[in-house]
Amino acid sequence: MAHKSSAAHLLREYETLFLVKPDVTDEAVEKIKERIRATVAKDGGKVIKFTHWGKKKTAFPVLKQPRALFLHVDYLGSAKAVAEVERNLSILEDVTKFMTTKIAEGVDPAAREVEEDVKLAGDEERPRVEREGEVEGDAAATRAEDDNNQGQQA
Amino acid sequence: MPKTEMKDAPREASEGSRRGFGRRKVCRFCTEKNLTVDFKDAATLKSYVTERGKIIPRRINGNCAKHQREVATAIKRARMVALLPYTVLHG
Repeated sequence: MAHKSSAAHLLREYETLFLVKPDVTDEAVEKIKERIRATVAKDGGKVIKFTHWGKKKTAFPVLKQPRALFLHVDYLGSAKAVAEVERNLSILEDVTKFMTTKIAEGVDPAAREVEEDVKLAGDEERPRVEREGEVEGDAAATRAEDDNNQGQQA
Repeated sequence: MPKTEMKDAPREASEGSRRGFGRRKVCRFCTEKNLTVDFKDAATLKSYVTERGKIIPRRINGNCAKHQREVATAIKRARMVALLPYTVLHG
């Protein structure tokens, strides 16, 4: 019995990476985060960390969009929590793709502290004009010149 | 019986010619201790797929069996979340 009760406290650690449509606002992303937090907490687990990777180019178009917001969440919970999180993600229209993997088994929730959310910059969005066979330095120089010209005109 | 003799002879010759050709490859994940296989690390995994997006066999990339299995799984996971391509279409 003692063994059983101690095992009940241990949880599994999972990570879910999900893609959100690129035009979704920060507030909507926060709402999704809160929904996941609530779902995991309901099952007796806890979210350790959210990482917002920012807007990144995908390897192939997802729902005809070449970019997506990548979000990664690390949490403790049971298999039920994973099923519930994935069910919620599949309901949300802004979420285009998601995948969950198990990181570790038998993790003590008291030993793992909740970490702060991280937001990364993501890829730079470059205008297409810059790619026309120009060296990056030259492109920057011409851009600066253009800016100056515009300033003078104004 | 003469059939088997004929079969063995060319194989030996081919093995002999292959010996000493090229250098022995080592598994990058075994030599670099702090390098782990992770599906989120698309930059590392990119070196284990071809330009077309196919997984490179371990006889070419030199991975050990254990790490090749992990790399293959990681690549498949990375494809699921659009970090790596399933295929590269040339129009």
